[in-house]
Amino acid sequence: MKLVVIGAHRERNDVEPLAEAIAVSDLWLSGMAVEESQPLGDRDLLLRVAKTRAALLDRATFVAIRYGFTAHGESEAMAKCAAHIDRWRRVLNDFRDCVEMTLKVAAAAPRARPDRHDFESGAAYIRALHEATRATDVAPEFRKAVDDTLAPLAVKYRWSNRDTSSLEFAALVKRQNVDAIDDAGAALKRDFPSVPFLLSGPWPLEVFADDHE
Amino acid sequence: MSDADEELSLLETLDHLLDRGVVIAGEAVVSIGDVDLLYLGLNVVLANVDAIIRTSQPKQRQ
Repeated sequence: MKLVVIGAHRERNDVEPLAEAIAVSDLWLSGMAVEESQPLGDRDLLLRVAKTRAALLDRATFVAIRYGFTAHGESEAMAKCAAHIDRWRRVLNDFRDCVEMTLKVAAAAPRARPDRHDFESGAAYIRALHEATRATDVAPEFRKAVDDTLAPLAVKYRWSNRDTSSLEFAALVKRQNVDAIDDAGAALKRDFPSVPFLLSGPWPLEVFADDHE
Repeated sequence: MSDADEELSLLETLDHLLDRGVVIAGEAVVSIGDVDLLYLGLNVVLANVDAIIRTSQPKQRQ
């Protein structure tokens, strides 16, 4: 058997009985046990993990671990996670009552994605792709409205260019502000009916788990 | 919830599962057949943007 790891948690009770708890130092990983031969790309497994992830977040905030990490027990998990433990502990202590919300918005004028066949080197292609992504932006009035209405409800927030056709506003918010964020999103929908965007969450600590000091 | 909303919700959930969170060094490459899930994740993101546009502007698409 192997454990598909879902997240890092502060308390054992945050994990059990929803998932298997694996001790790593004074923290806990949540895992879902599957047969060794189980392909991780299996659709049903993906959906089971997604469902368990949501149930765990209902219980308590945790640090999300990217899908695909597996472990066979405490010693292996500890060996692979040792470099992250101190940061996870700080994040979990500081943001225990927070969750993340994201707002994805389609670019006002999507940039054409560079065609890799137009470039002689991979480096030149990557640079062009990065430039095209960085140059993508949303309508200024929509961005200002998000900054004026959603951002003040967040503990931290960040705009990021995800690709040549969309941007994302990610916010770390206290759980008691989730409804206010949803209300602000509904107001944006009314005020900007022609701007395609999606406000979603709550999510575990994903965007803000890596850069907290 | 409409079918379009359910599709969007599923895509968004998979996008967060496949493309977010802490990456652990030494993580196994996840693949379906010969398709790396990294690319599947990218496709989910692209499909997600497309789905946002479709569900946000249903009348313009009809």
